[in-house]
Amino acid sequence: MRCDMPDTHFYHYDSYDRALVAERVAQFRDQVRRRLSGELTEEQFKPLRLTNGLYLQLHAYMLRIAIPYGTLSAQQLRKLADIARKYDRGYGHFTTRQNLQLNWIKLEDAPDALAALAEVDMHAIQTSGNLIRNVTADHFAGAAVDEIEDPRIWCEIVRQWSTLHPEFSFLPRKFKIAITGSPNDRAAVRVHDVGLRLWRNEAGEVGFEVIVGGGLGRTPMIGKTLREFLPKDELLAYLEATLRVYNRYGRRDNLYKARIKILVHEIGVEKMREDVEAEYAEIKDGALKLAPETIEAIARQFAPPDLVPRKPESAAVERLRLEDRDFGLWLKSNTAPHRVPGYAIVTASLKPAGAPPGDASATQMDGVADIAELWSEGELRVSHEQNLVLPHVAIEHLPSVWKALSHLGFGEANVGKITDIIACPGLDYCALANARSIPVAQRISNHFADLARQHDIGDLKIKISGCINACGHHHVGHIGILGVDKNGVELYQISLGGDVDFGKTALGTILGPAVEADKVVEAVDSLVTTYLEQRGEGERFVDTYRRIGAEPFKERMYGAL
Amino acid sequence: MAKNLSGDLQVASANRLGDGAVVFLDDAGRWTVRLERAVLARDKRSGEILLERAKAEASGVIDPFLVAVSEDDDGTLEPLSLREKIRASGLTFQAIAADAVRYA
Repeated sequence: MRCDMPDTHFYHYDSYDRALVAERVAQFRDQVRRRLSGELTEEQFKPLRLTNGLYLQLHAYMLRIAIPYGTLSAQQLRKLADIARKYDRGYGHFTTRQNLQLNWIKLEDAPDALAALAEVDMHAIQTSGNLIRNVTADHFAGAAVDEIEDPRIWCEIVRQWSTLHPEFSFLPRKFKIAITGSPNDRAAVRVHDVGLRLWRNEAGEVGFEVIVGGGLGRTPMIGKTLREFLPKDELLAYLEATLRVYNRYGRRDNLYKARIKILVHEIGVEKMREDVEAEYAEIKDGALKLAPETIEAIARQFAPPDLVPRKPESAAVERLRLEDRDFGLWLKSNTAPHRVPGYAIVTASLKPAGAPPGDASATQMDGVADIAELWSEGELRVSHEQNLVLPHVAIEHLPSVWKALSHLGFGEANVGKITDIIACPGLDYCALANARSIPVAQRISNHFADLARQHDIGDLKIKISGCINACGHHHVGHIGILGVDKNGVELYQISLGGDVDFGKTALGTILGPAVEADKVVEAVDSLVTTYLEQRGEGERFVDTYRRIGAEPFKERMYGAL
Repeated sequence: MAKNLSGDLQVASANRLGDGAVVFLDDAGRWTVRLERAVLARDKRSGEILLERAKAEASGVIDPFLVAVSEDDDGTLEPLSLREKIRASGLTFQAIAADAVRYA
């Protein structure tokens, strides 16, 4: 049964979208029936289940649910909670690609879970396979004060073009696109297969910088600029040309060399550009040229909520800030300026001390949905840093929002701090992992739990991956931690200096030999101590590292172990 | 004390088709979630035979394979690799409960 979707400020499915998703659910239901009855072998069934986001992990099936461009309504989040409760163990894991993973789905329940998702215009398409994956965006989209244009309009246009694209359903490897509409990149566009950055040129026109060949994983690369400025209406034709070149020349003989970053690295960005431009010249005036009315029709669906400007000061906020240190710290770390005066963007931290990063119980999801409905126009975002965002909160409501989030365990004042750790599911869940990530994150989080200390340390991003596939983005952590398996023992390789800030994007440098699991906290502590002793005025951890280099950190860390 | 750490001791494991749960082949040719009921191959040749048998019984499971284990004096089996230990015993941390508002 379909729920009536409330009026939201983002894309609504049309009848075509709904028919497509309903058809996919019906097809998958039949495929599951045939697998359970033995009509289909696992070899035949595996690509079908993966196409519907259903993976087999260590202990169970995992359903990866797409949250397109990280945008959710309160109603959708409630439905996710409902599905987690009914078909899983009552909790879910928000991922670094703005998706939600349910870790304990039964095969026979998977079609029902997908049907329940379809009731709120959601699905698990494009969450697996060698195709264009769910497009990600800035998690402050539609609210950020520094935003030039809402990137979700373009994410949705890309989604409509890419979903079930017949030519690109069997690419050499998966293909990830991220879009940002702000100069301060919160979508990590330089470490995606294609990153798109909206910017305004000297003539005052807004277009895209097209970045290609970035990525993490086994061979981390920072993307290179393919086109400095692409007019917006040419986006799809240009992407089509880029994907065609990749599809034609990308390697299919070696899984580890199949991503576009390897192609760009091998032939060089100049040759890549030449080939893409040649292909583009053939198709640029064809059916993919975006008509202004098409763009406008989608843009209308992302029209911002009608927020009435308010006074930026609030006596209630000021009073609580003076009374409660934690609220004051939370204001500093978990709120960001909004484009409308008198409002703020609030980040609900899914990283309370000692908790598995990014996990939320069904009750917590319901609670955050209630908060969004009461105080954030019914809207939410999922960040690639595994937090939830309330994009439109009136400043006078911040005390209420903080109290409500704190009640749920999501009011920790640690966004951007040392305990706001990104961690992949690691060997506790993942069939690909070599080492555990979550228990390491938990130990670091408990060790640095004191909020005053965290704020004294300042901005410091720790990112942990349980294998070289780098779902925990360890390459771009200020402190990156990679779990490796050496003769059956978990060891952790530590790197420093990674960053995804625009203009400063860098891959971390490995400090030296990997450390034992029970030494990771001590190692991180020694790195922090080195920073605190050496930092200059206003320097973040990564700034100090850039100034003084790895040696003092390395000396201290290995000396302490 | 654990013995036979050479990897010669093996059990057959797979994931159950219906829910993906980790299962082991028992003496009677049934798949069980209990490692202690797994039939044990004590040498390489027995392992090969066990795997063939597991594949023949694989209609309700996915991709059977052999897991190297150790055996204590009291007969307790334990996988040798961390990955298989986690497969056999579950998460190494406590997941949040469905109705929890705080991680404990």
